[in-house]
Amino acid sequence: MSQIDQCPSTTKGEKKRAGKAELSAMARAAGTVNGNRVWRSVDELADTSEFRDFLEREFPAGASELDRATREDAAMAGVGAGVGGGVGGETRRDFIKLMGASIALAGAATIPGCRRPDHKIMPYSKDVPEEVIPGKPLFYATSFARPDGGAEGLLVETHEGRPTKLEGNPLHPINRGKVSTWALASIMGLYDPDRLKMVIESTLHEGKVGRSEQAFRAAASSHLKQYDATGGEGLAIIASKKSSPSREAARQQVLARWPKATWVAYAPAQTTGPAEGTRLAFGSPMNEVLNMTREHTRVILSLDRDFLHKEPGEIPNAISFAATRLVLTTADDMSRLYVVESGYTVTGGQADHRLRLAPSRITALAVELARFLLPKVHEPGAEDLIGALAGVAVPAGADIDRHFLEECAKDLLAPENRGKTLIVVGPSQPAEVHALACALNAALDNIGKSVSYSPMSEESAAPSLAALETLAAKIGAGQISTLVCIDTNPVYDAPGHLNFGELFAKVPTTIAHNVELNETNNAATWSVNAAHYLESWGDTQAIDGTIAPVQPMIAPLYGPAVGLQPMSDLEFITFLASADVAARIDGYEIVRANWRRTLGTNFDRSWRRALHDGVAPGTGAAAQAVSVNYGAVGAGVSGLKVAGVPSAAALDVAFVIGNPGDGRYANVAWLQELPEVGTRTVWDNPVLLSPATAVELGLEPEAFTVENPSNVYTEPKYPQARMAEITLGGQSVKAAVWIMPGMADHTLLMTLGYGRTVAGRVADGVGFNLYGLRRGAGEGSRSASGATIAPVAGSHMIASTQNHWTMEGRTSIVRAVDLPAFKKFGDEVQKHTDEFYGRESQLNFAERLGELSHTPPNASIYENPYNRSIGDPDPANVQKPPDDNIHQPTPPLYLVGQQWGMTIDQTTCNGCGACTIACYSENNIPVVGKKEVAKGREMAWIRVDRYFTGDVENPQAMLHQPVLCVHCENAPCETVCPVNATVHGPEGINYMTYNRCIGTRYCANNCPYKVRRFNFFDYGVTKFNGDYLGHDLLEQVVPNTGGITGSGAHNKINPNLIPPRLREKLDEISRMQKNPDVTVRSRGVMEKCSYCIQRINGAKIETKLQNLKGIPEGFFQTACQQACPSNSIVFGDIRNPDSAVSKMRGNARSYALLGYLNTRPRTSHMVRVMNPNPKLVDEARRHSWENPFHHEPGHGDPGHGPDSHGAEPRPSEPGHTFRFDKHRRAEDGGYALSLNVLGAGGRA
Amino acid sequence: MTTVPPDQVMAQRLAGIARGPVAGRDLDPVTGDGTLLDDPAVRPPLVLNNRTFGEVTDIICGYAENPAPRWWLPALMFFGSIAGLGGMFIGYLVITGIGTWGLNNQVDWAWDITNFVFWIGIGHAGTLISAVLCLLKQKWRTAVNRSAEAMTIFAVICAATFPGIHVGRQWMAWMLLPLPNSNNIWPNFRSPLLWDVFAISTYGTVSLLFWYMGMIPDLATLRDRADRRLRRQVEGGPILLPFVPIRTDKIRAFVYGFLALGWRFSGRHWHRYEAAYLVLAGISTPLVLSVHSIVSFDFATSILPGWHTTIFPPYFVAGAIFGGFAMVLMLLIPARELYPHMKDFLTLRHLENMAKIILVTGMIVGFAYSMEFFIAWYSGNDYELYAFKNRAAGPYWWAYWTMISCNVLSPQVFWVRRFRTSPFIIFLVSLAVTIGMWFERFVIIVTSLHRAFLPAEWGMFHPTPVDIAIFTASVGVFVTLFLLFMRFLPVFAIAELKAVMPAASPHPHGHDGHGGDGHAAGAAPHNGHAPSLPAKGAH
Repeated sequence: MSQIDQCPSTTKGEKKRAGKAELSAMARAAGTVNGNRVWRSVDELADTSEFRDFLEREFPAGASELDRATREDAAMAGVGAGVGGGVGGETRRDFIKLMGASIALAGAATIPGCRRPDHKIMPYSKDVPEEVIPGKPLFYATSFARPDGGAEGLLVETHEGRPTKLEGNPLHPINRGKVSTWALASIMGLYDPDRLKMVIESTLHEGKVGRSEQAFRAAASSHLKQYDATGGEGLAIIASKKSSPSREAARQQVLARWPKATWVAYAPAQTTGPAEGTRLAFGSPMNEVLNMTREHTRVILSLDRDFLHKEPGEIPNAISFAATRLVLTTADDMSRLYVVESGYTVTGGQADHRLRLAPSRITALAVELARFLLPKVHEPGAEDLIGALAGVAVPAGADIDRHFLEECAKDLLAPENRGKTLIVVGPSQPAEVHALACALNAALDNIGKSVSYSPMSEESAAPSLAALETLAAKIGAGQISTLVCIDTNPVYDAPGHLNFGELFAKVPTTIAHNVELNETNNAATWSVNAAHYLESWGDTQAIDGTIAPVQPMIAPLYGPAVGLQPMSDLEFITFLASADVAARIDGYEIVRANWRRTLGTNFDRSWRRALHDGVAPGTGAAAQAVSVNYGAVGAGVSGLKVAGVPSAAALDVAFVIGNPGDGRYANVAWLQELPEVGTRTVWDNPVLLSPATAVELGLEPEAFTVENPSNVYTEPKYPQARMAEITLGGQSVKAAVWIMPGMADHTLLMTLGYGRTVAGRVADGVGFNLYGLRRGAGEGSRSASGATIAPVAGSHMIASTQNHWTMEGRTSIVRAVDLPAFKKFGDEVQKHTDEFYGRESQLNFAERLGELSHTPPNASIYENPYNRSIGDPDPANVQKPPDDNIHQPTPPLYLVGQQWGMTIDQTTCNGCGACTIACYSENNIPVVGKKEVAKGREMAWIRVDRYFTGDVENPQAMLHQPVLCVHCENAPCETVCPVNATVHGPEGINYMTYNRCIGTRYCANNCPYKVRRFNFFDYGVTKFNGDYLGHDLLEQVVPNTGGITGSGAHNKINPNLIPPRLREKLDEISRMQKNPDVTVRSRGVMEKCSYCIQRINGAKIETKLQNLKGIPEGFFQTACQQACPSNSIVFGDIRNPDSAVSKMRGNARSYALLGYLNTRPRTSHMVRVMNPNPKLVDEARRHSWENPFHHEPGHGDPGHGPDSHGAEPRPSEPGHTFRFDKHRRAEDGGYALSLNVLGAGGRA
Repeated sequence: MTTVPPDQVMAQRLAGIARGPVAGRDLDPVTGDGTLLDDPAVRPPLVLNNRTFGEVTDIICGYAENPAPRWWLPALMFFGSIAGLGGMFIGYLVITGIGTWGLNNQVDWAWDITNFVFWIGIGHAGTLISAVLCLLKQKWRTAVNRSAEAMTIFAVICAATFPGIHVGRQWMAWMLLPLPNSNNIWPNFRSPLLWDVFAISTYGTVSLLFWYMGMIPDLATLRDRADRRLRRQVEGGPILLPFVPIRTDKIRAFVYGFLALGWRFSGRHWHRYEAAYLVLAGISTPLVLSVHSIVSFDFATSILPGWHTTIFPPYFVAGAIFGGFAMVLMLLIPARELYPHMKDFLTLRHLENMAKIILVTGMIVGFAYSMEFFIAWYSGNDYELYAFKNRAAGPYWWAYWTMISCNVLSPQVFWVRRFRTSPFIIFLVSLAVTIGMWFERFVIIVTSLHRAFLPAEWGMFHPTPVDIAIFTASVGVFVTLFLLFMRFLPVFAIAELKAVMPAASPHPHGHDGHGGDGHAAGAAPHNGHAPSLPAKGAH
């Protein structure tokens, strides 16, 4: 949009009116000469005596008092006043801040609490930069340091100084405008009402006492001075592995000050495999940068690596992977993805061939694969490795499918694929397997093409758990007297065997510095609140080396009105390194000082450019030429011990990261309510098992058992998981156990990041903390062997947004074909003549796969004022002239204006959920809590439906289908609304008028897509899990019912059942996140996707101002489209033949979901195309390539005689049939299971 | 034999002194009261025990004038409390949100609309009896029409509550009405919910008018009796309260007098009354068909498999009559036992007739059930077929089979005469049918909604205590209103009832052999001579 090029630091002095020029010049001068001098008015800037008088008169008492307080604090700390240059030093600074606050209180400032960064501060009055128009958002570039390393560039939408939404920065090479769920949701972390709000000291006698920032700084600097003598002996710091050059510099300063201090770079879920593997292969740790392209990536093999999700490179990987999968014409080719993994991941869902395998056996498969591959490549120098591989003992097992392995290897070896393949290895695998993959990639000539390597910083490469283990030993030995935790939460997420919570309490002085409330802060002597990254200066480095600035969007929300602001982690580390309390800690200066070295000459100009663009120019590290040391890999591999097939007595364990990250985003309710991929569970992390293993171990979900017959229908009984105790390496944890199709047998999939106990009203007690089972150093990976599991008493409610796992044989919902079938039939168009109406319509390939190929077209008896092409079901016909417009004085409205439409590509959609979070953020969608989701009341406007096909143990595919309001041209909802609250617009959008809606819910009943969401309670305006009148009394009367999150930790009663008048309203802080362009819905109204109507109208106004005719293609994007990393969502004007969306709609893969109902959806879905290896599919599936359209003509009715279709061989085929078929349904193992397990189906 | 002139006989009868021409000797040897005569040539008596007009008036007015039976006040308090408690739940619902019900995004209607359709269906019998049977000159209706109409009114009150409270923002429910406004925004006239608003309000209004107008002569009777007692200084019942010198008769005279609209039993009044009654019957008759047809459009016009069915209008109407008659029977059979002499007016013949209607309409409903399945199969639409399979075998199978056994199987006992003339059996079947008809609506609404097109959005509905309480409250309201009706208003149409009594027969008393000559068809049982009786008795 046109606003993106504006940033707070670009002072457009030239544009100012003549009379102001002098003042702004003064302002700049003031800003640069002395950073301490902030000015809020011209008088203040000039520091006139009148202004001083004014201040004295206006606020004498408070000002002088606070002034004195500050001096006293400083005196206590034994530091003289007046440091920092300028008149008055820090007291003056405080004084001016007081002024700001006071003026705000007096109503003189328009937007209290919203402030520009100190150094370019502009009061929100008439001197505001002229590009600031109240009511119009501004976009600033910043970047987000991912908790797992790497970074993403962001554009932040701010409304009147208030950031409301995060978007990908199109100029950032990592994002290219896309954004991950974590980055999207991090804005909710900023406005988290449970954030740490002040410094708290835990004292011996008084308990927890709030302290001022000054007091902390004074106390800390005097305390830390004692280590200067010993060089830091006894001081330990646990800091997150945030990828930031300035922070790295600050770290160096700390280590320079205390060389003997222990610095633990800690990322709880990180594994050492990639770093150590690349170290083994190349001699130094490397970041693996995937660069898949259509031309150079034809075969991809992933060994348990979810490279599309929850890893630092997820966004570029998703973008580039999707690019290799895009099939638009029958001439297009697509890559082929083989995935070997233990449980379904986003990547596994995309696989053309997927092998489920226990994590320890994936190692075996890797060895076998290398043994098969390497001798055939004839790579010079690899002989040692081949020899070493031959020496590795691989216990045999039927779980490794030789056929799969060999065909996959042959595919990798095929001459046409030479140099166009890619092998990636995931975190469950040891370093040797990573090294092996490097060797194989080198041998297959992939390095520098699909994959390249850039140097990894030592801090990233440092082993987290080993370092923590060493530290724990030191603490145990009493060698550590001060422990500082920066941006980490080891009390919660340290491996269980360390007993870190107890060790932490043993340390005499502990300081925890965090943005969010967590267990470590709760336990620390000093709990210090940090500034959020949207509140502070900093920088980040992405995995490809790109450096990006972090600039504040808002003044720290919980900063004191007077005194020092909370520090960001960068500032905090710098504070630690600085000599004394009075040192000026200013992120801006720190970053600038660091960048001055990077950017070199003409610094100010390039600095401003970098702030504007959100990236430092020329910092993306060029791929480093690397060569694999086969000998070293061979030496490493020869020491590899490969485990045998896991058994019920010795289960394999794989740890994965859930939606709340490693736990730090647990209090972000959007992420809790985002369904986990595969299970679609929310607010929970049950341990996952394969159905067969669950049955074997007696851990199948409750309703599945015989002794619990089907009384689930009359009482609200939600799916119940069994509780079990899992023991691994002497540690045991009780958790719920749930089943998941496609899991490897005898494998437990454990999702980390849940089970927080001190996190806030959202996360407390949600899920299970499985860190307790993690092993320390040595294993290094996210997997382990030898776990046991035993049922324990109790059950646990599972809330899932989707209780059905299969399409129930309704295969026209997500239509999927194999590439050969598409290539063969994709260009064919079927003429379909309807005898009754005498009409002829054309069906493209995708429509031929569905009902329309054998049902007469529906004809509406109503005339649609916007579309005269009655009864023509083909959405591509929208631009045809009407049949009969003799009587129509005006042309059909569809031929005028702009007509919005959307396509969703189910081939590239990987189900990551970024669209859902983006939609929550853009459209002020409330979260409802676990119980409400269990009841089926989730509010997501765009949901991703997930279906499995094939066998329940080993599904053939996991299909994703994003469903949002499809904006039917013949909308069933519109006719039934009695109050005209949902009506059709002339641009084809189905409007939802909230203030006309009275909530009959008839529209939702009549919506075949079930995309309408009803506000059953005051979700939007009352506080989530908030307090209410008579809280204590009521909980006595009604005992534990689980509360809103099902955790029982906060509210025993579901607060939604409390009348809203008695409940806490949404707090001011949470309200600040709301997008002011979108209504916050009250209870009793229906809501649904609006195609981001606020963006359409914003664009319309903008284009009108610019005298454009209509909104140009690409002028704006819907929130989901903007976020989607795989570009699966395309939105635009379908009337414009050149628009991307009309091309996609015209594509042979485009079909109307449930189009046979003649709803004429404006959103069309695109057939999922899979690219199986012909050698790995059976005869039946290959047969389907010759005729993908085999619908049963009789719709499963045996009474109908077979016709040309029906004569085909029948249900022996293993489920890859995309048609209606009752046999298919009967065979569908998942069908019966989903009915039984999830309490929805009944009698076994 | 005394020879009283025929005119004088008639005058005596009209004055309530003389009895009609039927004597006790005409009784059926089998049933003992002649109500179950099978001889088509012989009209069974509609009022038993050869009452005089005076007795009839005394009995029926006595229900309102005599002290209430001992059970009445406790019953009223019980059901009144249920109603009041339910009112509190409605209050809770309104201030807290529709989420207190068990609804969700997959099942957006459940008990609310089930209850609505259920009560509207109950209301159908009243209008059918009063209007359709009136036009068809079914004289037996006179014994049941007043209470059936009252039941209609009360059922409509219960029914109308649910659309009002089921919306998300109840305080905005007025937006359903086509009120002129400056924005020129009208309701959506294409929406069946709006048609419902019109249909129900029309139906409620017409039913109320019909009921009230029919009551005017009887209210005047009550007024006159109270007035006469006051004039004669007869004890007019107990004084209302100690130290308050108002006698209940004064209240009665005032209230009934007000409601009687100055009715003076003049010939002209009767003439106007009869004409108006016919007109209202004519207006009501199509309403019997239209209201439930329109209610069925709520479902039939949608696109949901299981709802989108053309069979719905006739099927719903038949079902409504079916359920309505069952409810009439459920109310009248106990009343018949509890009130003195009520059996004289509500004879077994009445019960049998209604049982036969239940049997017929039950089979219509059963036919509709099977037809739905046939069409679902015949359509070849997979979604449609699944919806019906899911009804019978899905998670709500128990609701479906409850419905089938209650609605289709249980009325089949009425093929046996002994059962359809046994008030106890009839009561049980009526109870079953009432339950079954509630489940029919539940099955249609919930099983269709909970598994619609996309399996990803399949869900379940579970009622909450609020759901249950509000339904129970509607039953409480209904019974409370009916108890009040039984206590304070003429339970039978006295004037109409007299017209179908033998005493109203213009024939002179006795054995003059003029019987069966077509005069006042059906007004009097055949009082023929001895030869006819043995033949009848031999049946």
